[in-house]
Amino acid sequence: MLRTSRLRLIRRAFLAAAAGAFIGLSAWTAMAQTAGGDLVFVQNSNPPSLDAMVTTSQASRNITMNMYETLFGFSEDIRPIPILAKSVDISPDGKTYRIPLREGVKFHNGKEMKAEDVKASLDRYKKVGGTQTMLAPVESIDVTGPYEVTLRLSEPTPTFMESFASPRAPAVIIPAEEAAKEPNKISFIGTGPYKFVEYVPDSHVKLERFKDYVPNEDYKDIDGFGGKKTAYLDTITFRVIPEAGAAVAALETGEVQVLEQIPVPTARRLASNPDIKTYENMPWAFLTFIMNMKAAPTDNVKFREAVALALNDEEVMAIATEGLFNLYHGWMYEGSTYDAGDIGKEFYNVHDAERAKALLKEAGYNGEPFSLLTDSNIPEHGKAAVVIAEQLKAVGINAVVNQVDWPTALKIRLQDSGWNGWTLAMGIEPYLGPAALISTLTGAAPHFRANDPELDALYKELITTDGVDGRKAVFAKIQKRLYEFFGIVKVGETGLMQAARANVQGFKPFRFPRLYNVWLEKK
Amino acid sequence: MIGFLARRLLSALPVLLVVSLVSFVIIAIVPGDVTAEIAGADSTEAQRAEIRERLGLDKPMVEQALRWYGRLLQGDLGQSYLLNRPVTEAVLERLPVTLSLAGLALVMAVALGVLLGILAAIRHGTWLDQGSMSLALFGLSIPDFWFGLILIVVFSVQLGWLPTGGYVPASESIVGWARSMTLPALALAITQMGVVARMTRASMLEVMGEDYIRTARAKGMRRHVVIFKHALRNALIPIVTVVGVMTGVLLGGAVVIESVFSLPGVGRLIIGAIQRRDYPIIQGGLLITAATFVFVNILVDLAYGWLDPRVRNDG
Amino acid sequence: MTAEADADTASLRREIARARRRGWMRFLKRLFSHRSFQVGFALFSVIVLLALFADLVAPYDPNKNDYRNLLAPPSMLHLFGTDGFGRDIFSRVIHGTRISLGIGISVVVMTGLFGVVLGMLAGYVRWLDNALMRLMDGLMAFPGVLLAIALAAALGPSALNAVIALTITFTPRTARIVRSSVLVIRELPYVEAALAVGAGHARIIVRYILANALSPLIVQLTFVFAVSILAEAILSFLGVGPPPPAPSLGNIIAEGRSYLQDASWIAFFPGMAIAAAVLGLNLMGDGLRDVTDPRLASQRGAG
Repeated sequence: MLRTSRLRLIRRAFLAAAAGAFIGLSAWTAMAQTAGGDLVFVQNSNPPSLDAMVTTSQASRNITMNMYETLFGFSEDIRPIPILAKSVDISPDGKTYRIPLREGVKFHNGKEMKAEDVKASLDRYKKVGGTQTMLAPVESIDVTGPYEVTLRLSEPTPTFMESFASPRAPAVIIPAEEAAKEPNKISFIGTGPYKFVEYVPDSHVKLERFKDYVPNEDYKDIDGFGGKKTAYLDTITFRVIPEAGAAVAALETGEVQVLEQIPVPTARRLASNPDIKTYENMPWAFLTFIMNMKAAPTDNVKFREAVALALNDEEVMAIATEGLFNLYHGWMYEGSTYDAGDIGKEFYNVHDAERAKALLKEAGYNGEPFSLLTDSNIPEHGKAAVVIAEQLKAVGINAVVNQVDWPTALKIRLQDSGWNGWTLAMGIEPYLGPAALISTLTGAAPHFRANDPELDALYKELITTDGVDGRKAVFAKIQKRLYEFFGIVKVGETGLMQAARANVQGFKPFRFPRLYNVWLEKK
Repeated sequence: MIGFLARRLLSALPVLLVVSLVSFVIIAIVPGDVTAEIAGADSTEAQRAEIRERLGLDKPMVEQALRWYGRLLQGDLGQSYLLNRPVTEAVLERLPVTLSLAGLALVMAVALGVLLGILAAIRHGTWLDQGSMSLALFGLSIPDFWFGLILIVVFSVQLGWLPTGGYVPASESIVGWARSMTLPALALAITQMGVVARMTRASMLEVMGEDYIRTARAKGMRRHVVIFKHALRNALIPIVTVVGVMTGVLLGGAVVIESVFSLPGVGRLIIGAIQRRDYPIIQGGLLITAATFVFVNILVDLAYGWLDPRVRNDG
Repeated sequence: MTAEADADTASLRREIARARRRGWMRFLKRLFSHRSFQVGFALFSVIVLLALFADLVAPYDPNKNDYRNLLAPPSMLHLFGTDGFGRDIFSRVIHGTRISLGIGISVVVMTGLFGVVLGMLAGYVRWLDNALMRLMDGLMAFPGVLLAIALAAALGPSALNAVIALTITFTPRTARIVRSSVLVIRELPYVEAALAVGAGHARIIVRYILANALSPLIVQLTFVFAVSILAEAILSFLGVGPPPPAPSLGNIIAEGRSYLQDASWIAFFPGMAIAAAVLGLNLMGDGLRDVTDPRLASQRGAG
């Protein structure tokens, strides 16, 4: 699929456009969009950066994806589609990608986007981009026309388009003169429907409608990260409110219009409030429990299996997500392309204390402390850690929670000692597909510290296999392997409960809030 | 007066030195560094080393400290690692929020406290006295951040009178500023209000027992004239002396109130900087906060000397 | 020395001891007939007893999760309701009081120790005075909460760090109080006399200075206790106190802040528990201060 010829990509774009036209039309007949108005969107933490390509943070992505655009992005059904590019032409040997660009696209500073800007942006990404593996196969980026760039890869990489379209740390296009600047030192200029006004950390980021935005007329409506975007609102303010209670109160009084996340019990209460509409963004992330394969006692596979068997995943999920979750053992979402079926199911959510204790005995476990690393910044991490610790204590494991701030957690988990278990919600990786997910478990710094040679080999096989069916077979082997050495436990799938005022129209839950194509209904 | 001021300013230097030394010690022992924040969670060690070298974080702590003091002598607090701007600018931008909060809380604490104190003193021994003092004691005993949460539930959510948080600069809208500051300042003021009320009552009772007040009363001066013209003025002097201490307490307490009401103040700037290891901001933020505290104390001393001339001689 | 004289000194000693005891009894009698002290003592005793016998009083294990019973409102089964883990708030609050009092008393002991040593040194050893007091000023200008957050980032959040941070915060003012008592006392005629007859420094310090600085110190430490409980709650609330699942009162409030409207009982009850403990201590402190030195105005020490 990835060797997608230009023709197939364009056909897909057309199909999407047709579907979009239908949705757009029905929405249009239901109620007319009205331009104007100011919308306040609330999130609970500061964006660490608005230099979109250097950060993988969701708090940044919420904002930057309304300001910047990439050459390619994912459609609603998670396939790469052109956004700033017109299409892509891949040579038969799979090593040359000729990418014609859309003409007439304007940057927020009024300049037209040209091939030089694209080359400069991608060159910058190679140096400072947040997902280092993304452009690793790219040997050279050449300007082959005023509106055309050509990428040359060192070897054929069937998964290249998928990783290039990734929004994790998006390869956004910025003006060439900005691309010359260091990380975080740029002026925030993109081609998106909203442009940057101001950022007051701990308070807000303000954007305003970009009057000269050039929508992509190949589509009739938005489609995933791309499609035809229309900015209706005059301004968007992303307000940072760390207190969930205060944020909800602000929504109820109408001070703010959209909340990125609300507590699930609050959503139940608000169900009867006619002024507020809640949205279930499901599935949102995998909640995982990662073990350190280099530190005792988790260096013993029997011990790790005992941990997996001891867990009552339902209890962890019910408490950590406040009730919005899905129990599934698979390492891809149920029913998705790469879903590997029942493999490993017999190890999931069994909470079999007897077998766990027997395995602990077999592993020679003798009450050594089990340090459970977690952070205080992401509530699900901390709650899951507390529940897991209680469950491990129940089978006789001496679990101690070590809750630190996020940077410290990131530092500690890179060490070979000082931690045994770590709770981590993976949001974007499972969304992006098998390669993105498994790349975090292999290579130079796998999450569980020690490399599993078999898994490394399977990853290599995965990214070099051409064709979905071939890769599905490889992924089934990967899932089997993950349930053999238990370096990482999938606890469950979490959702994101979101809410907006009832007059907010056109809001469709997605990987980031697409606040273009959202308008405020006039009363 | 000038000599007094110069001596006080000079004596502030060791205080600020201690503050900056303590912050260096903290930075030296905090694990983790800013490079993972700048380069992203899955950056390579080589990338991080390059950033460390660029920022001078690979140098020994003593050398980093000496450089920092060297720049400080030229009035430069350095550049934030993450905010992409000078520390002085970032902190000074936040200062109005924290000063608004602490200042308004100070005014509320003194105004409400003095009022309660007077009420209790002039109705000494009655239910009004007991009521006021119970209120003051209650104020002293409840956690201020918890009181803030309750204020949000009652006044923002149930009654919808005031916003739940956020900051509106006074330059944008005075009314908006007052609305955004009322609840946080009230929450912050509650403890100090108790302190002031109790002090006012005690010193009012003491002053009212003194000879010259009794004489004035005996001479037939009206009660409220005596109270407000003579007793209150003298009773307020001890209040002024604690304003300096109170300012310190309020500036420190502002940290948690800023977090409850999501106000972009200096406290949250420093907390964020600690969590993300933005050392220059930690250093500069703490130094400027401490300097503010010291400066207010000097002002208080000046005011005290003006109110009570006896102090000026030995100042 | 004759046996007779020996007996005389012995009886004199007994006499002095008896007088001391009588003095103590009189002091206690006055203290316990002070109304604020009575109320405060009663309130605080109840809380201390609850904390001491937490394991017997609490109906549930404070860390027992129950995901079928999340956010249950107060009922006969759960007096204060349950939290987002299904844990019994009443049991958590009782155990939380134990943590708060434990941290509070540790801070009192450490602050008392450092306050006395530093205050004595500053007041007694002239050449140290200036340096020590400048150090104390510097620490006083350092916002205690930020210090605790920085310490937690450095050493990981724990009850011990909270104690260290609060001790650093409250020691300067305590040291100042001790120092000023020392400065007054060392000028008193009988201390000067003792110095003149060549009594040892250690003896003078213990016999005269410490004994006389004791009452303002005790009053100050009562308030330090109260303020430590409040400060511990703040630190836990900000996530730098005892790590979860420890049921410290600040932790419980922090867990409840997302549910202010949906499950207000989570944040409400621990707040009331803090208020009750602090109120008890403040009332006792008021009583102590009135009885030991009625002239001291209604001033609180550390804020």
